[in-house]
Amino acid sequence: MTDTKDKMKLQTSDMREPKTRNGVTAVILFGLVVGMTGLAFASDPLYRIFCQVTGYGGTTKVAEAVPDSQIIDQVVTVRFDANVNKSLAWRFKPVQNTIKVRLGEPAIAFYEATNVSDKAIVGTATFNVAPFKAGEYFSKIECFCFTEQVLKPGQTVQMPVTFFVDPAILKDRNSADVKTITLSYTFFASDDQSEALKLKTLQVISKGQGSTLSSREVIPKG
Amino acid sequence: MSDTAHDHHDHRPTGWKRWVYSTNHKDIGTMYLALAMVAAIVGAAASVVIRMELHQPGIQFITDFQFYNVLVTAHGFIMVFFVVMPALIGGFGNWFIPLMVGTPDMAFPRMNNLSFWLVAAGLVLLVIAGLIDGGPGTGWTVYPPLANADYHPGMAVDFGILALHLAGASSILGAINFITTIINMRAPGMTFHRMPLFIWAMLLTAILLLLAIPVLAGALTMLLTDRNFGTAFFSPEGGGDPILWQHLFWFFGHPEVYIMIIPAFGVISEIVSTFSKKPIFGYLGMAYAMAAIGVVGFVVWAHHMYTVGFNVETRAYFTLATMVIAVPTGVKIFSWLATMWGGSIKFDTPMLYAMGFIFLFVVGGVTGVTLANAGSDMAFHDTYFVVAHFHYVLSIAAIFAMYAGFFYWIGKMSGKQYPEGLARLQFWITFVGVNVLFFPQHFAGMAGMPRRIPDYPDAYAGWNMISSYGAYITAIGGLLFFVVLWKTLTSKETVAANQWGEGASTLEWTVASPAPFHTHEDTPKVGSQPAE
Repeated sequence: MTDTKDKMKLQTSDMREPKTRNGVTAVILFGLVVGMTGLAFASDPLYRIFCQVTGYGGTTKVAEAVPDSQIIDQVVTVRFDANVNKSLAWRFKPVQNTIKVRLGEPAIAFYEATNVSDKAIVGTATFNVAPFKAGEYFSKIECFCFTEQVLKPGQTVQMPVTFFVDPAILKDRNSADVKTITLSYTFFASDDQSEALKLKTLQVISKGQGSTLSSREVIPKG
Repeated sequence: MSDTAHDHHDHRPTGWKRWVYSTNHKDIGTMYLALAMVAAIVGAAASVVIRMELHQPGIQFITDFQFYNVLVTAHGFIMVFFVVMPALIGGFGNWFIPLMVGTPDMAFPRMNNLSFWLVAAGLVLLVIAGLIDGGPGTGWTVYPPLANADYHPGMAVDFGILALHLAGASSILGAINFITTIINMRAPGMTFHRMPLFIWAMLLTAILLLLAIPVLAGALTMLLTDRNFGTAFFSPEGGGDPILWQHLFWFFGHPEVYIMIIPAFGVISEIVSTFSKKPIFGYLGMAYAMAAIGVVGFVVWAHHMYTVGFNVETRAYFTLATMVIAVPTGVKIFSWLATMWGGSIKFDTPMLYAMGFIFLFVVGGVTGVTLANAGSDMAFHDTYFVVAHFHYVLSIAAIFAMYAGFFYWIGKMSGKQYPEGLARLQFWITFVGVNVLFFPQHFAGMAGMPRRIPDYPDAYAGWNMISSYGAYITAIGGLLFFVVLWKTLTSKETVAANQWGEGASTLEWTVASPAPFHTHEDTPKVGSQPAE
């Protein structure tokens, strides 16, 4: 009696698991495939995190607040570069070409953008620093690049970026010799133009300074 | 030796169902080889048209440059996914893995059938992709932004992506089948260190497939959603990065080239051993050299990306890692030579192709070492020097291995004898043709000729004309191959079970020629096979 009962038990549990060694092997191998596919999809966030953590490719850092470390009496020249993707009808340039800052000292710089087209456009910027090895030590406290920018037709805005160069750069054998850092931005027409479409009904053409009319937080890129 | 237990095996399918519903590894292998031959005609035709356009400076007859780019793309995809892989892995792998390990069929015969028809469907989708909406003019590397919706609107690239998904699924299922068969179903007595080197090669290739193809699948899916569903994995406008595509593609792409060549290594090992009447020199070294090539092949992908803006430390690492691969490869080359040394060599066509492989793979390999250097690659990237390199190792070496395997095994597969004289002529025409075709491309590349262009400055005219003549000679060699194939299949001359004599020591030579529909129904005895 117990014999047949045991046999039946075996059969129902066998339904779930592969019966043969071949089946077990196949399941393990298929798991490997699923794992590698998962890794491929995970590459997108992993790639971003890798750059953020290591400063690879000149990826800059984001700082919460003004640093409380000492200001060191060593001067670094920061140069400002501006580029526009050709499908974005904006003029974009730095207000100042260079700034000299001491290590650890927060500084503010401005870029100016003008929408030279006849419709509102949302722009988003990518950015890095050169030399790449300075990326780990270049921290931005506030940046227009943290949010998308909407410009009405003809509108000009000045956009600030507050940053400092971390004094820890002196302790890094590879980067201690950096005397000039170039901060470079490239503006693109954002994929998401919904903010601009909201403004479409407004016929205002304004040339004004100050901050933009609307901005939205996006995931900080650096 | 048949008893009542085997009687039901006399019932075998006939007609179209034999092929469409096949669960027989030999029939499926035959179908893969047939598909590879058909695809080779299309892929080679594309390359001959390209060479005709490049024969002289100026535009000869291709005025639609998108069409030119589509030809380049189609040529690459077809040769990689629908010629080399189906022939070496699907064709020879399916035919000879069960025969060599001593088992009646693959672990999962029905999944084997699915794998084949997935490739066939993939080929159909790829051809369709070439015919709609201007075709995919991206190159086989499909880089965004060119591959994105802005520059390739329409469905051509999407069809191409789906074609690759099918081919990739086919390879993954096939790899699961191969690994399970080789690990679990070897005849008793055939330990891992007693398996033929061809089996080692197929096992390692299947593992590489399992690890690499899913990454391609993921990347292709991301590109598909970027193009159609509003994601922005690869476009900066949405916060993405086109370089991420390159990383993902080449993380697959570099193991892919080892997936294409390691089976070729396996074929060459069997042939060199048979025609030298000696076991391969250094069996363990050969097996683990292939494993080392496979492993290191996963950490060198960025040598395809030296010009994207990496820092010098990154480029230094990838230069070093890439050059390391030359070491196990050198072990293999020297081991093949050591096998021949002191052997009793017979220069039949399979051996001619095998020796041609060894020499020409070294030629292609050394230009690979040149390209491995990030410094010199700054000058060579995207020039014809790269084209020359990879055609030497693939279009020459891998194709020679396919021809070698064909001539070696056609007797076993068909029971017929190929015409030796005509086959040797076909070898020499092909040998001359491929060298005239690809060697001058090194010079064009060193002089700065870019790749993937329909026209070029007059300064490159000389090398291009020579190269194009080489293409026509190679095409004649290809046509002659089909003549040889025809003559073989219609020949009255049959072959013995072991037509190659004492040098042929693997299990496929113990069954009749042609191999019966069912083989190894009784498990063979594997005893004192000299392995180490």
